[in-house]
Order: sequence, then structure tokens, then C-alpha cells
Amino acid sequence: MVAVSTLLGVAVDGLAFGVFLALLGVGITLVFGLGEVLNLAIGTFAVMAVLVATVVVESGMGLIVAAAVALAAVAAFGLVVDRTILSLVYRSEGEERILLGIFTTLGLTVFLDGVLINYFPSRYTLPLNVGTVSVGGATLTGGSLIIIAVGVVVLAILFGFLRGTFLGKATRTVFQDERGARLVGVNPRRIRTLIFVLSAAVAGLGGLVFAAGSAVAVSNGFQFTTFALIISIVGGVRSLVGAVTAGVLLGLVNQFANFFVGSYIATIILFVTAIVVLLARPEAIS
Amino acid sequence: MSARPSLGTEARNVAVVAVLFALAPLAVLGSSYYESVLAHLLIVALFAVALNIVFGHTDQLFLFVGGLAGVGAYTTALLADALSISAWVTLPVAALVCGLIGLLVSYVSAKRKFTVVLISILTLNLQLVFSEVFVGARDLTGGSTGFPYEYFELGVVADALGVGEKLVLYYLVLLLLVATLGLYLKLVHSKYGVAFDAIREDEIAAESIGIDVVRYKTIAGFVAAFIIGVVGAFFARESGYILPGGFTFLAVDVVVLIVLVVGGLRTTLGPIVGAIIVVGVEEFLSSAQSLQSWQSAIFGALLIVLFLYFRRGVVRSAREVLDDAGLTGERGGGGTEADADGGR
Repeated sequence: MVAVSTLLGVAVDGLAFGVFLALLGVGITLVFGLGEVLNLAIGTFAVMAVLVATVVVESGMGLIVAAAVALAAVAAFGLVVDRTILSLVYRSEGEERILLGIFTTLGLTVFLDGVLINYFPSRYTLPLNVGTVSVGGATLTGGSLIIIAVGVVVLAILFGFLRGTFLGKATRTVFQDERGARLVGVNPRRIRTLIFVLSAAVAGLGGLVFAAGSAVAVSNGFQFTTFALIISIVGGVRSLVGAVTAGVLLGLVNQFANFFVGSYIATIILFVTAIVVLLARPEAIS
Repeated sequence: MSARPSLGTEARNVAVVAVLFALAPLAVLGSSYYESVLAHLLIVALFAVALNIVFGHTDQLFLFVGGLAGVGAYTTALLADALSISAWVTLPVAALVCGLIGLLVSYVSAKRKFTVVLISILTLNLQLVFSEVFVGARDLTGGSTGFPYEYFELGVVADALGVGEKLVLYYLVLLLLVATLGLYLKLVHSKYGVAFDAIREDEIAAESIGIDVVRYKTIAGFVAAFIIGVVGAFFARESGYILPGGFTFLAVDVVVLIVLVVGGLRTTLGPIVGAIIVVGVEEFLSSAQSLQSWQSAIFGALLIVLFLYFRRGVVRSAREVLDDAGLTGERGGGGTEADADGGR
């Protein structure tokens, strides 16, 4: 029999992992919903944030400064990618654009992994060093609590931006109907740039959150991308709320499966969930 | 409606290439290192031929070539060991297993009208499941320690002929490649080829003139996956050792995609031309220590640039140049096709 307090601890860690998944899922969903580009480089963006933050921390700065610099760097890199590769991708339409998006971002992942591994050959972590907290007899990981708090705040800001501000509303217009958006004077291309940069930063934050608990290697990039894909499949590739829900849910499932049956089965459960959802309701993603 | 060269011309080209490759080992003067590079080249080309059938001709983007190859290789070996019989007997069974996986994926995708994104995500997920299982099912697969892969009794033949094992494997794979290309030519020059073209142009229109879209896509999926399964076993045999890392998405699929696109989608010799170029680049990069660590970066950049600017492939471009110079017997063909479909 497992004590309730232990289960509570697992749940908190699961939620923290869920925040990481949700951030990645939101990152991939924003871009696909807006421009039909499936960003297969998103996991590498997350890894890049961790690497930049590591460099800044090693130069003697604090963790907060490092995180800010890392997110700014990844956002800037997102801007470059958007202006160069994606500009070429957006030139084509329909299925061709989707294919091009898949291949160019896949190429970008392979390219970035290949470059980064030469400079960052080991595993990196950004420990929060906050120890554990005792709540009613349960020992909770302090880091996980901070991650959950950060996740809630960031996602709240993101949703506030999309629902409350003019830019956010313009973004949602493009989401729903690109031609309609153009008719009311919204430039879809500029919105796409904005959202791509935003999604890069969100993915970067996801990476930082992950690195607070576990070590990250360059080769994790593609794995992160597959996590993002799973989340977007389960949540529906155009639904942000779905992405967040799926992220949190699968984070919990994964952590409990990890605890009870081990990480190998836990990972398989993740993938099989994605495949089952894909087969059960493909319309959510097309 | 197809702008391909005639069957006769294509068959002749394949025969010429086959003869060239049959003579190729003479040029490397018995170096078993280069024999193994040559064998690797043909194996990569075979994967690309399979992907060409399913992705090139029916737009079903299979992103689990590596996973299927692994299923083929592991099934062949594990069955042979468990039943203590020759891998030659278990190979068809393993290939059939792969073929059925491909058939199932294609059938479900076609039946449910999956877009290319959905098929790619579905197969990518399957790829990851396969990879996880190869690593995780330690009792069966040996996990990440792997096991020596010395099936198919090549040593016996090699001893009988007094040549190296690598050479025997090379000619075996060459035979397989010629047979596969023969099958490919038969396929695209039959009613299947016509149906594939129609489906690719416009699925609904194809259906309306009585083409059974689900059936043709399913057949393409089965054939491609079957070939990948067979090749997978020889892929492992070529390394002499089987490891889950050999069948990952990044190790197999990325390379095969580049090969196919460099050579030219929907061309017969494209996979071979692509494999020569890609394996050539690999060899060049691994010749210098300082370059080797950049291989992945270079392949990534190649993937981006190729898909953005060079989707028609070397074979079509070359055919056009030759046509312009009046060097080929065929008139016009290649150029118009490449222009018409934008080489996608």
C-alpha cells in the first residue's frame, strides 16, 4: 500500500512535468493553428534555452537573469528562423506548405543538433536549490511547486494576451479565418511572425522548466518535439485549451505510470495514447 | 499521362546500372572497407526505393522506415534463434509482419482520409514506439547492448567461393536491388502506376472514375513496408551487430529522405543516384576527423535547402540537361513532368 502523502508528492511532480508538456504543446499548437506549419524544431528551441541559460549561469549571473537572457535569445532566434526559412515555406499553399514545413523544420532540428553537440557535449541542468516542502505529512519537491506556479502565471498571461488585447484578438481572427482577417485589415504574415517568436519563447520556457528538475542533453531536442506532438494530438492541434489540458493530464499519467510500472512502460503509454487518440478522432488534427 | 521514359528505356538503364555495380568491387581492389561502403550504399538506395513507392507515388509519408527495418531485422533474428532454423526461412515471415504493419497503417489512413500530416505524425509515433520497444524489451532484443548479427550463412558461400563475406553480402544486396527495381518498374508501368498518378493528382477525381483509392494506397503501403522489412535484416547483417540505435528516426529516416529527394522523387534511378551522393558525402566527411562531427549539421542544412530549392532531384535535372543537348533518345519527357508538378 502506497501512502497518500507519497501519492501527493508524485502528483505534484506530475503536475510540474505537465507544465513542461503543456508549454511545448502550446508552442507547437500556436504555430500550426496559425500557419499550418508543424514546427518539428520546437524541442530544439527548448534545449537551446537551457544551453544559453547554462552559459549565463556559468558566467556568474543569477538564475533569473539567465532565464531572461535565454528566453530573449531563443525568441530572437525564432525571429531569424521565421524571417528566413518560414518566409520561404509560407510562399507555398495547402498540402505543399505543410510538407515543406515538416521537412524544413525537421532539417533545422537535425542541423541545430549537429551544430550544438559540438559545443555542448554533456548534460546540463539548472537546479533551483529550494529543497523540499512538507505539507500535512507529504514531502513535496520545492522545485516542482515553483514550476507549477510559473506555468500557471505564464499560461494565464498568454491566455489573457490572446483574449484581452487587440493583437491577441487579431491572432485569433487569423486562427479562425485567414481571409476574413485580411478583410478587416489584419496582416496574417506579421501575426505569424509574432506568434512564432512567442511560441519559441514558450518552448524555451518549457526547456528551462524541465532543466530545473532533470539534466538536458542536446539529443533530448527531438524527444521534446515528440512530446509536443503527442500533446497536440491528444489536445487537438488547433486548440490551446486542449493542449494545456492534455499536457497536464499526460504529465500526471506519465508520472504515476513512472512510479508504479517504470519509465519504459510510461513512455510507451504516452505514445500509445497519442496513437489511439489519433485513430479515434483524427478530425481534431486535420 | 505519365511523362516517364518508356519501360524499355528504363529497364535498359537499370540493367546498365546493375552491370556497373556488379563491376564496382573490382575498382576497390578487394578492400573490405570499401566493399562494405558499397553494400551500405545499395541498402540505403533500397530503403529509398521503398519510400519512393509509398511516399513518392501515393503521398503517404511513412516516417517509420527505421522502425520497420528494425522490426524486420529483429523478427528475422529472434525467430531464427527461437526456432533454431535458418534466417532464410524467417526472413519472409519478418517481411510479412512489416508488410502487414504497413498495410494496416495505409488502410486505416486511407479509410479515414488522413492528410499527409496525420500519416506522418502517426508513423512517427509508431517509429518511437518501435524504438522504445527495441531498447526496453531487453530480454528479447538485448536492449542497448544488442547482439552479433551473423545470419544468412554468408560464411559458407564465401568459403566455397574463396571470397570475403562482405563481397557475398554485397552481391546479395545488389541482386535484391535489381529485383526490387524490376518490381518497381513493373508496378509504375502497369495500371497501378496510372492509378497512383491519378490518386496523387486528385483523390476525389480518381475515385469518381472508379479507382479504388483505399485499395491502391494499401497495396503501396504493404509493398513498401515489405521491402523495408527485408532490407532491414540485411542492413543489420551488414553491420554484423544489431543495436536499437541503428534504427532510429534520425539514423535512418532522415538519411533516406535526403537520398530520395536528392535523387528525385518518382524516378527509377533517383534512389541510387541519391545514395551515391549521400554516401559519398558521408565518406568524405568521415575521412577527416574535424569534419566528421559536423556530419549531422551538414545533413540538416542539406535537408532544408533541398526541400526549399531542389525538389525535382538530380535525375530529372540531368535528364533535362541531356534532353537540351539532344543526347537522349527520349524526347522532351523529363522536363515537362518536372515543370508540371513542380517536382513536389
